[in-house]
Amino acid sequence: MEMSLLDTCIDAIKLLFSGNTELWSIIWVSFCVSITAILISAVPAILVGFLLAMVDFPGRWMVIALFNALMAIPTVVVGLTLYLMLSRSGPFGELHLLFSQPAMVIGQVLLCFPVLVCMSHAAFQGIDRRAWETARTLGAHCGRAALTIACEARFALLAAMLAGFSRIISEVGCSMMVGGNILGYTRNIPTAIALETSKGEFSQGVALGLVLLMLALVLNFTLASVRGKGQLI
Amino acid sequence: MGLELKIDNLVKRYGTRELFHIEQLRVQEGQSLHLKGENGVGKTTLMKIMAGLEKPCSGRVSVTPSHRRWWSDRLHPEVIYLHQTPYVFMSKVVDNVAYGLKLRKGNRHEVKSKVQQALAWARLEHLAEQPAYSLSGGERQRLALARAWILAPRLLFLDEPTANLDRHSVTTVAELVRQLLEQGTTIMVSSHQSNSVTDLCTRHLQLEHGALHEIESLTQVKRYAQH
Repeated sequence: MEMSLLDTCIDAIKLLFSGNTELWSIIWVSFCVSITAILISAVPAILVGFLLAMVDFPGRWMVIALFNALMAIPTVVVGLTLYLMLSRSGPFGELHLLFSQPAMVIGQVLLCFPVLVCMSHAAFQGIDRRAWETARTLGAHCGRAALTIACEARFALLAAMLAGFSRIISEVGCSMMVGGNILGYTRNIPTAIALETSKGEFSQGVALGLVLLMLALVLNFTLASVRGKGQLI
Repeated sequence: MGLELKIDNLVKRYGTRELFHIEQLRVQEGQSLHLKGENGVGKTTLMKIMAGLEKPCSGRVSVTPSHRRWWSDRLHPEVIYLHQTPYVFMSKVVDNVAYGLKLRKGNRHEVKSKVQQALAWARLEHLAEQPAYSLSGGERQRLALARAWILAPRLLFLDEPTANLDRHSVTTVAELVRQLLEQGTTIMVSSHQSNSVTDLCTRHLQLEHGALHEIESLTQVKRYAQH
C-alpha cells in the first residue's frame, strides 16, 4: 500500500532522529566535500573579484562576461568535462582521482568559483572609491587597503559565500558523475536523494531534503542576523 | 629638514581633453594655500595628484624629504588628502579615528590615549562609540580632520572642507584648521568661494583655463572672490 505524504514525512523525521549511521554518513560526506570546496575557492575568488573591480585592464569586461557565463553552466557539463579529464584516458587519469571525494571537491570548486567571483566583484563594485583612497592616504599599503575594502563589503561577501555554498551543497550532476555515488565515501545528500527516489524509498530522500532545507534556513537566518534588519544606512 | 612640495610640468588629460598643464609650483613647510577655481577645472584632481592618489599623464610631483616605501613611490606618509565628503568606515567613530594610527603603531595603550586626545581635539568625545555613518556632515568633516590630526601630517590637502556645512560647522572646522596651521602643518584648501577656512590662507592660487596662477595682491584676491 502506498504511503501518504504525511506518513513519509513522519518516517523521515523518525529516521533523522534515530541516529541512522547510513543517513548521517551521507550528511557528513556532503558537508565535508562542500565546506572544503568553499574554503579552497573563497580567498582566490574574492581576490579575483577585487582585482576585476579595482584594476582597469584591456579586456576586463570580457573576463567579467566570461565569469558571468560560467556561473550559469549546468553542473552536469562541469561533471562531464571533469570526468573526461580524470578518466583513465584523460590527461589527469594517472592521478586516479575519479570516483573519489577529491574529485567531487574539484568539481564543486569549479562550480562555486564563478559564483564567488561575480558576487564578490559586484560587492566590491558597490564600495565607494573614496574608501580605497581614504585607506591609502591614511597609510595603508595596497594589501591592507584591500582588506579594509573587504571589511567594508563584508555582508555582501558573506552573501556571496552563502550563494556559492548553496550552489554546491545542492548540486547533483557533477557529484554523481565524478563521485560515483559510493555509499559511505562519495554519496552525498543530493545524489542520495536522487537514488532513493528512483528506488521508491521516499522517507530517506525526504529526511535528507529536510536537512538541506534546515541548512538553508539556518544559513540565511544567520546572515540576516549579522547584517542587521536590512535597513539602508 | 623642512618639507617641500615641488611640481614641474604637470599635465593631466582625459582622452584628448587637457584638464590642466602646470609648469611649476613650490610649496614650503608651514605655508597655507587656497586653491581657487570654478567647478570642473580640476582642483580635486590636482590635489589628488599632489597627494599621490592619482597619476598625472606627464610631469613630476615630489615631496622632499622623501620617505619611499616599498609599496608605493607616490604616497608620502606625511601627506594626507581629505575628501570633500569624507568617507567613514563602517565602524564606530573611535575605530575610524584609530585607523591610521593602528597601521603605524603597535602599542595599544599609546593608540588609545592618542585617540582620546584626537576625539577631544575634534570635539567628538561624546560620539566616540556611535557608528560613524550616523554622523552629520559637519561631524564627519571633524572626524576626517581628527583622523588626519592623529597622524601629525606635515602636508594636508583639504578638498572643499566647508561645502554643504552650516555656519556653525564652518566656524568649528576653521578653528580646527587654524590649530593645525599653528602646529606647523602645511595646508592647501580647495574652494571655489572664500570662507572662514580660506581666510586663514596666506597664498592664493587660481586654477583657470588649464593653468595655475598665483594671486599676488589683496586686490587681486578680492577681485577673484567677487567672481
